[in-house]
Amino acid sequence: MATDSRRKADTARGAKTGRSPWKEQARSYFDHHRKVAKDSARRLWKTPVGTGMTWTVMGVALALPVALLLLLTSLQGVSAGWESSARVTAYLQLEVPLEDARGLVDEIRTDSRISDIELVDREQALAEFRANSGLEDALDYLEENPLPHTLLITPDERSRSATGVEALVTFVRGLEGVERVQVDLGWLQRLNAMTDLLARAVWALAILLAAAVILVIGNTVRLAIESRRDEILVAKLVGGTDAFVRRPFLYTGAWYGLGGGVVAWILLQLSLWWLSGPIERLAGLYRSDFTLVGLGLDGVLALIIVAMLLGWLGAWVAVKRHLDDIEPGDIAGG
Amino acid sequence: MIEFRQVTKRYDSDHTALAQVNFSLNRGELAFLTGHSGAGKSTLLKLIMVMERPSAGEVVVGGQLLNRLPRRQIPYIRRHIGVVFQNHQLLFDRTVFDNVAMPLEVMGASPRDIGRRVRAALDKVGLLNKEKMNPMQLSGGEQQRVGIARAVVNKPPVLLADEPTGNLDPELSADIMNLFTRFSQVGVTVLIATHDIGLVNEMDRRTLTLDHGRLIAGGSSPLQGAAGGVSGH
Repeated sequence: MATDSRRKADTARGAKTGRSPWKEQARSYFDHHRKVAKDSARRLWKTPVGTGMTWTVMGVALALPVALLLLLTSLQGVSAGWESSARVTAYLQLEVPLEDARGLVDEIRTDSRISDIELVDREQALAEFRANSGLEDALDYLEENPLPHTLLITPDERSRSATGVEALVTFVRGLEGVERVQVDLGWLQRLNAMTDLLARAVWALAILLAAAVILVIGNTVRLAIESRRDEILVAKLVGGTDAFVRRPFLYTGAWYGLGGGVVAWILLQLSLWWLSGPIERLAGLYRSDFTLVGLGLDGVLALIIVAMLLGWLGAWVAVKRHLDDIEPGDIAGG
Repeated sequence: MIEFRQVTKRYDSDHTALAQVNFSLNRGELAFLTGHSGAGKSTLLKLIMVMERPSAGEVVVGGQLLNRLPRRQIPYIRRHIGVVFQNHQLLFDRTVFDNVAMPLEVMGASPRDIGRRVRAALDKVGLLNKEKMNPMQLSGGEQQRVGIARAVVNKPPVLLADEPTGNLDPELSADIMNLFTRFSQVGVTVLIATHDIGLVNEMDRRTLTLDHGRLIAGGSSPLQGAAGGVSGH
């Protein structure tokens, strides 16, 4: 009798699923995903100490390269800012009279690459030098003013690239009466070279630490697999596909990643807050508007997504290596 | 439903677990599989569940040749085979209900469907009132019945049982055998591996007997035997 009623119920269900089997299938698929995701999260929550430690390890490993990347971005911002304020200084020959210097200024001003030009005549230059250098007494011994007229040229915005400034320097150097042209880009180039080098080092470090994160998660998930061996065996016995058996562990990895990403973000915010005071003071001493740029909303999201992907990947490595070993081959006794 | 054609299984070069085994079981047939320990009972069951592959010969279940079944397809075959173990393989980290629900979950059944079918299966083994308990709280016989409910919850056409009454007293064993008989009456092919000769004699059913990997009794199905007899005349 019981079988009879069950049969009837079954045919009824058959008719219903027949109407939209695809929809039903998709819904139960997503239901299952949600259930597994929730269950994996609950399992992590049940072992708070272990989970917290894994999160911290991951957080530190992620925070380090991200912090260096932020520093790098800030440094690149600095060099970009200074590059835009690059000025070309042209020293005229000593014997060039003031009138000729003024003529030269008018001539250069007509060039489209120049946004501003300023003439510092020799008397003015000497006065400034006397005031700023502290060599007043020494200067008194000189019979005549050793300083030439000087032109301070600010390039137009379009010419503020390295090549633009280079071209401008060549042009000014070619003018009659110009003794020497100086543009202080050397230190900027050195800074750029250093940030380039630093960028590579940071990326190398980031890759190494990402590998470390994958291994840490892989090992943690391996232990989770061991502790759920019976469940895996039964799932395989009753016809669970590989994807079904893997799913909870992949979610576990992703949750580890999520926690690790959040810890990394907190660590970054803390160190940013801790460093901001001293950095402001240091930048103030250099009259720079240098500030450490924090992670924006995009950055935080990217950090957490990357962390979850790494966790997932770590879990995948463990699952691939260990889940296939668990086969219900020796379960049937006697 | 289940057919073995000249099946041989060798584990190493010297150890032959099964040698040229031939038999077939029809739909709704209930048969016993007996033999001394190490005679090859487990190997035979494992071949049906695709835990092992034959070294030679063919294993056919539900019309499907299992020999060269791709690994990916194995789960789908297992969904058509319910298995009851001597040590019942229940999970103690979840309720009776969740244990029985596992075969339906791996199939991706909807929660409503799962609820209905799990309760129907538990009802059938008489444990409907214990669905929320942990299997650990149940007696040995009850645990075995939970295992049976799990094996039949998705209505597989084939039911295998490996020493299902191994740890039970005679009365409980009879109960369990009754259950199996009822399943076979609704068309399930049931194969029970046991060395409980008393039980086998009492049931008076077809019995496949293995001895050192060879099938020494019950090899041809009753129908085939009858057909052979007719053609012989």
